[in-house]
Amino acid sequence: MSLELHQISIAYGRQRVLEDLSAETMPPGTLVGLLGANGAGKSTLLRALAGLQPARGRAVLDGTELFTAPAAHRLRQVGYLPQSLPQASPLLAYESVLAALRATRPDLRDGAAQAAIQGIFDRLGIAGLALRRMGQLSGGQRQMVGLAQVLVRQPRLLLLDEPTSALDLRWQLAVLENVAAQIRQDGAIALIAIHDINLAARFCQRLLVLGQGSVLAQGTPADSLTPDLLNQAYGIAGRVESCSQGFPVVLADRATPLPTDRRN
Amino acid sequence: MTAVPLAAGYRRFILGRLAILGGLTLALALAFALDVATGPSGIRLGELLGATDNAALRVILWDIRLPQAVMAVLVGAALALAGAEMQTTLNNALASPFTLGLTNAATLGAACAIVFDLALPGLPSLWSVPVLAFTFALGATLLVNGLARSQGAGADTVVLFGIAMVFVMNALLWLVQYVASADAVQQIVFWTMGSLTRSTWEKIALVGLVLALCLPLSLRQVWAMTTLRGGEDHARSFGIPVERLRLVVLVRVSLLAAAAVSFVGTIGFIGLVGPHLARLLLGEDHRFYLPGAALAGALVMSLASTASKSLVPGLVLPVGIVTALVGIPLFMALLLSQRRRA
Repeated sequence: MSLELHQISIAYGRQRVLEDLSAETMPPGTLVGLLGANGAGKSTLLRALAGLQPARGRAVLDGTELFTAPAAHRLRQVGYLPQSLPQASPLLAYESVLAALRATRPDLRDGAAQAAIQGIFDRLGIAGLALRRMGQLSGGQRQMVGLAQVLVRQPRLLLLDEPTSALDLRWQLAVLENVAAQIRQDGAIALIAIHDINLAARFCQRLLVLGQGSVLAQGTPADSLTPDLLNQAYGIAGRVESCSQGFPVVLADRATPLPTDRRN
Repeated sequence: MTAVPLAAGYRRFILGRLAILGGLTLALALAFALDVATGPSGIRLGELLGATDNAALRVILWDIRLPQAVMAVLVGAALALAGAEMQTTLNNALASPFTLGLTNAATLGAACAIVFDLALPGLPSLWSVPVLAFTFALGATLLVNGLARSQGAGADTVVLFGIAMVFVMNALLWLVQYVASADAVQQIVFWTMGSLTRSTWEKIALVGLVLALCLPLSLRQVWAMTTLRGGEDHARSFGIPVERLRLVVLVRVSLLAAAAVSFVGTIGFIGLVGPHLARLLLGEDHRFYLPGAALAGALVMSLASTASKSLVPGLVLPVGIVTALVGIPLFMALLLSQRRRA
């Protein structure tokens, strides 16, 4: 299992978002943090890999071309959590996960489906939400249920678009710990678009930093995070220091004037 | 941890929902019996059932009351099922066969068949009105959906184009009425008010056939539709072809709406209230929601049919008027009581 991205270009009409994006091969069990400023193309890349956005180039997951693979084949391999939260519908959280599982695995026996759903609710620590209606849940709780809908299918490639954006600190850690554990166990790969650089540096083995339509940096957090990169990618003056456990920590000092082409 | 606790808790919800479906079925059976027992002649059900050798009473039972009561159930179920599927695929709680102008298009088709005396070669005359109603409804659906897709737009745009379609179809209907004879205009008015009085067993068989065809097809897509309630992107990422699902549903809804409208006329309220009642009672797991909507629609229509024969002694009011006058206050009361409980 590996993921390769070769010369991927994506445009909305005439507006190019990503141009010739390539990334080093990602081995199984890798958690990849997708970083970059707003509008850098993180969500667009994830949507393209999920088959929701037309793209040129090649994305190869364990020999399968994702951009040209039949939907049914891609469906078995890829799990995508969109940035927008699951809708506040009258569905119970349990049945929203059941529906997600049944929509993709109609042949699964009832007992196996129940065990899978029980397992994911227990692991994420949200069993108390299972029999509540989605409309009664907070944004963060719905985000957790959305993650359960993706994880229960055990995809080979997880595409998570800001999965911690509505969560408090405890749940942010719980989400990343669970995703890391699942991809380690399944030998899967996860691409996570995330704004919290320190959280990414703590959990991700690799970072892919997007900006100006392409890859600004890639590699381990320790190698790729530099003050120059922070300035280039986010337009900030900042420092990269090391915490007592050896993880890089970003300290943002101030915003720097944006280059003319990034003002809007 | 074992698989028992959550599954067991969820099973209690399932049993509760099955009980509600059973309750709706029972209520429908009672409403149906009440509908058959009610008529402008005031003859009681016992008299009708006991009169095996009285031809007049047999005609009242078999040619008037029973056909009307059965038609009320079938039309209510068809319109509510259509409304429920539309509300899901268009992600809009106000969607119903009215919203996209389906009912109006079907009425226009029926009006054209009557006014211009259009007969389809090789088909009995009974079929020309429903076939044209369906053709117009399907045409309107494909036009609205095609326009929305050509703009790369989603469910909201389909609804907006649908609202525009309502006005276009109404304008065309007025035009047809303007050039029609007085007799034809009177027949068209029958459609716009909605009435069960012209129900026959032949027409019932046709509506029943359409419902028997569409309901199993709907039930085959319950998981896809339930997943769609989590959001379009979410559903697409699970490999559900949302646009194709929407098109298939809209074609099915056209068939259901046209079958209902062809024989009883315009009854807009049922397609809205049936799904809402089902949602209040059963949630949105479509395994229960769709049959629940059909049962709720049939129940409300059956009660409205009874009311249409009881409100003014000796007179049968058009059922479309009654559904609005009696049903909407009931619907509002239900919504308000739900809000108070929340």
